[in-house]
Amino acid sequence: MRRNRGAGGAGRYAFRLQEERAAYAFIFPAVACLLLFTFYPMIDAVVVSFKDFNLINPQADFVGFGNYKELFADRAFWDSLLHSFHFAIVVIPAQTAIALGLALLVRRSTRLSGLFRTVYFLPVVIAVGVASTVFRLLYNQDVGLFNALLKLLGLPQVSFLSDPGVAMYGVMILGMWKSAGFFMIIFLAGLNNIPKTIYEAAEVDGASRPRMFFHITLPLLRRTLAFVVVITTMDAIKISGPVFILTNGGPAGSTTTATYFIVQEAFDQMRMGYASAAAMVLFAIVLAISVLQMRAFRTDVEY
Amino acid sequence: MAKPMLSAAKLLLMIVLAAIALLPIVWMAFGSFRAHEEIFKYASDMDWRTIFPVEWTLDNYRAIFSDETKPFGRFIANTLLVAVPVTVLSLIFNSLAAFAFAKLRFRFKKTIFAFFLSALVIPGEVTLVPSYLLMSDFGWIDQYAALIVPAVVSVFGVFLLVQFFSDIPRDLLEAGRMDGASWLRVYRSVVLPAAVPAIVTLAVITFLGQWDAYLWPLVVLNDQNKMMLQVAIATFSNLQVTEWGRILAADTVSSLPILVLFLFVQRYYVQGIAMSGIKG
Repeated sequence: MRRNRGAGGAGRYAFRLQEERAAYAFIFPAVACLLLFTFYPMIDAVVVSFKDFNLINPQADFVGFGNYKELFADRAFWDSLLHSFHFAIVVIPAQTAIALGLALLVRRSTRLSGLFRTVYFLPVVIAVGVASTVFRLLYNQDVGLFNALLKLLGLPQVSFLSDPGVAMYGVMILGMWKSAGFFMIIFLAGLNNIPKTIYEAAEVDGASRPRMFFHITLPLLRRTLAFVVVITTMDAIKISGPVFILTNGGPAGSTTTATYFIVQEAFDQMRMGYASAAAMVLFAIVLAISVLQMRAFRTDVEY
Repeated sequence: MAKPMLSAAKLLLMIVLAAIALLPIVWMAFGSFRAHEEIFKYASDMDWRTIFPVEWTLDNYRAIFSDETKPFGRFIANTLLVAVPVTVLSLIFNSLAAFAFAKLRFRFKKTIFAFFLSALVIPGEVTLVPSYLLMSDFGWIDQYAALIVPAVVSVFGVFLLVQFFSDIPRDLLEAGRMDGASWLRVYRSVVLPAAVPAIVTLAVITFLGQWDAYLWPLVVLNDQNKMMLQVAIATFSNLQVTEWGRILAADTVSSLPILVLFLFVQRYYVQGIAMSGIKG
């Protein structure tokens, strides 16, 4: 009997061991790639940020906090951070509100709603290069469609991309046009999770539509809202793609965002150490903001 | 009495928003069939000819495909050459890892998975410089390997598949094991067939992501002949600013397959995005 149990135990042990071996083999490629292509570069970014590293001189010297000191005194770097924040501070509330509005409009699962859902989502599948080149033409001051539309409505003409005070808004409009549909889908998923019975009960109690929105929909969407806001923030602060194609950071550097600054320093000026220091600062900011946001949303949930 | 008014207003709003979403796409597609002069002729005053072609022409398409200094067909081929292997390999590696994380029992699973997910907070923009240096150490600058190999594993992809796989009952897997199948067999013959929607979702997201890639290809590829689609389109717009029709033709060609693909698989794609939001 004892032997039996021992044999059974050994069998199960072998079984477990096999499972464990299989599991490690299955996760190995993924974990190895992640170590090599994400974690190692992250550590290396820290190391390089303390070096006077450029492509021409690979034997870089450690310069301590030299890069950081220079960075904090660099007006262009602060400006680039400011531009990123400007983009983020407008886009986060505006785009989130638009996405939520779209989701509420197409919430019901009728054919017509489904059709509008698809239409609202289409800009998301338009690639960044395509969208940016098209908008560049649409924004054209003399022959662009947007100015023709403004003229039709009797509004003054806008030089979307050549006025330093306006160009960032041109980037924002493009960004929101392209992304709102994506977050609409996430809001729709959140809305679908709210039980219909709650609304039915509220209706019986005679609650008005706005009341239901503020007292049922919004509170129950809090987790989804948190997710959308955190993701939008991260994307917004790192914005770069449209900037490269639409404005090239201009006019007069008015759309040079932090990521654009990093890429320029690294690959145009070849100052990789300096660029890495800027990247570390950007990383710290993004991380701090998302931690703060998640805290903010969590305390709300507890009450 | 207020109700029909309200729903009419709602419908009107929905139509206006749809017009905003569609206008740039429609203008792009129609513009690609117009002669350069025609676009400008009707541009400043809004009427139907501002958007719709008066005289249809295929010249723009002919021009972009026959321009030997900027072989547009080659850029599309290049992009497929990268996007297809990335999609296939990432499905294999990510689904294997996700299967292990979702269903198998092994030591340090929670720790390793937490460590794995922590990579989500590291943005690619932050590691851009050291990643470039790593590619340069490997001798992969100007090689497609620099685009393919690092893109094969996606933390988001593994995360997404773990959500799907966790619904597969473990009994089903153990039954397979009792029949003497290896875990790899179980994965192939039980897990994968049960997860087809999830696999399609991830395939579409991965492929679209590659089609859309801009910054990384811009940084690691200098060779004109190896250029990726989005980078090529951006240079089109920078160098030939006067040739609007050609830019729009290039944009339309590169959007069409994606739009068609999307309309076919939209259910899966949308489901995948929704999933990332609910449980995330």
